[in-house]
Amino acid sequence: MEYPEDSALLSRLLSGEESAYRELVATYQGSMRAVALAIVGSRNSDEVVQDAWLAVVNSLKGFQGRSSLKTWLLTITANTAKTRLKHNRREVLMDDLPGPHGTIGDDRFADDGHWLMAPHEWHQDTPEAMLLQNELRECLEKTLGSLSNMQSSVLVLRERQGLELEEICNLLDISLSNVRVLLHRARLKMFATLEHFEETGQC
Amino acid sequence: MLSCKELVANSSDYLDNRLSLSRGLEVRLHLTLCVNCRRFIRQMKISQAVYRKMQLEKAEDLDGLAQKLADAQRSSD
Ligand SMILES: [Zn+2]
Repeated sequence: MEYPEDSALLSRLLSGEESAYRELVATYQGSMRAVALAIVGSRNSDEVVQDAWLAVVNSLKGFQGRSSLKTWLLTITANTAKTRLKHNRREVLMDDLPGPHGTIGDDRFADDGHWLMAPHEWHQDTPEAMLLQNELRECLEKTLGSLSNMQSSVLVLRERQGLELEEICNLLDISLSNVRVLLHRARLKMFATLEHFEETGQC
Repeated sequence: MLSCKELVANSSDYLDNRLSLSRGLEVRLHLTLCVNCRRFIRQMKISQAVYRKMQLEKAEDLDGLAQKLADAQRSSD
């Protein structure tokens, strides 16, 4: 087994140990949902994730450890989703809706490319302190809600699960340059919301 | 030299370590000279960290799911 950190968990899973399944579900449910959402959309994603989990359990014995458990789980999820999708080929919408607080757009820069309105120092600059503010949390959720399915999935897979960009391309069948653009725009929207809140104290 | 606007356009690739060697050098040079862009990058990192720490999962019965899967595994033997 090339992924030693997985093998202990795997043997506990194979023996049906419930705490091992709790660990597995807690670690991967969010990413599996992100993969399903990107491929089949929100109406069918819960069902796809359910089916994928059952497929995972059914094929656990045959898991060879040639890839990491993470890659294996997400590949099963992507395949389950693609089977569901079959004929209707989706297109990746690159012109997503604007975020509630915009982005870091051209208007922030002078003609020579220097900052016109440079970022100010933030009052709070630890994530823990920021997230204690309920209103900010709700505000960020609103911004996340404005992302397209594909964009929010890419963000989850990169920022929360730490997938390489190439892995994201392969799972979701989109090009590397699309992944980079989606990710960049999503990050700037989040940034713009945090900055707006820091400056105005409201959403 | 890279402008601030170009630095922002390259910021995600910088954070993901996706820049070519020469572009990476240009970005690092710009950052040593420009306090505004240093602040921007620092705040981008804070905003990534905030996102990572946010509770996103909708309240759902993950323990129930885990139990169902463990049961399915045990009954497949
Ligand atoms: Zn600059």
